[in-house]
Amino acid sequence: MTFTGFIGTVCMFPLRAIIAACVALQIHPNILTFVGVLINVLAACALGNGRFITAGVIMIVANIFDFIDGKVARELNAETKFGGFWDSVIDRFSDIALFIGLIYLYSTLRRTDYVMVTALAMMFAIMTSYTRARAESLIAKCKVGFMERPERIVLFMIGAFTNRMAAVMWVIGVLSVFTVADRIIYTYRELRDTQPEAVA
Amino acid sequence: MKGPVTLPVRILWNAFFWTYERATWQYDVMVVAILAFVWLTPPDWLNDPMASGDGPLGYLADLLR
Repeated sequence: MTFTGFIGTVCMFPLRAIIAACVALQIHPNILTFVGVLINVLAACALGNGRFITAGVIMIVANIFDFIDGKVARELNAETKFGGFWDSVIDRFSDIALFIGLIYLYSTLRRTDYVMVTALAMMFAIMTSYTRARAESLIAKCKVGFMERPERIVLFMIGAFTNRMAAVMWVIGVLSVFTVADRIIYTYRELRDTQPEAVA
Repeated sequence: MKGPVTLPVRILWNAFFWTYERATWQYDVMVVAILAFVWLTPPDWLNDPMASGDGPLGYLADLLR
C-alpha cells in the first residue's frame, strides 16, 4: 500500500461512523452539502482574520460534510442528477469562499503581491473545474491533472495548521495552471482523434 | 510523449502533464515533493505575509556559506 493510500484508509475509519450516523438519521445529502458550504464560509472568515489554526479546524469539519454527502446519497439510494449538479455548484462556492478569506487577509495587510498570487490561484482553481465540466460535455472523461479539489483542500489545511499559506498559494497556483493546460491538451487530442471534422 | 527524449525531460513532462491515479507511487512522490516545498522553503524567501524566519533550508544555506 502506498503512503497516501494508507492515510486515506486510516481517515476512512471515523468517516464510516459519521456516514452510518447520517444514514441512520436519514439526513438528505443535499442538506449535508449545503451545511458544508456554510461551515466553509466560517473557515473563510477565520482565514480573513488571520486565525489559521481555527480556520484549519473549521475546514476539517466542513470537508467532512463535503466528503460524506455523495456516500450518504449512495447508502440512502438518493443519488440524483440534481444532487450531482448541486454538489458541484456548492463546491465552487466553498472553494471561492476560502480564497476570498485569504485575499481579504492579504489586502488588510497591504500585501498586493499575495492578493495577486491568491487571486490567480483562485482563477486557475475555478478553471480546473470548468475545463473538466466543459470537456466532459464533449468527451467521455477528462480526469487528468494533479491539482483537483481534494488536493487543494488538503493543502489549505496544511497551510493553515503549519502557517505556510504563502507557499501553499504558490503550489496551488502553479499546479492549477498545469492542470488546466493538461485538460485543454487532453481534450484537444481526444477530439482530434475521435472527431476529425470541424466543429463550430 | 513521443520520440526520443531524455529521462529528466520525461519525468518533468509526466509530473506536469499528470495522468496518474491517487494512491500510486507516482502520486506519493508528488505529495512528498509538494510537502518538501511547503515546509522546507524559508518563509522569508517567499516574502510570506504571515510567517517569518529562514526555515530548515535557510538554516542549511547558512551552514554552507
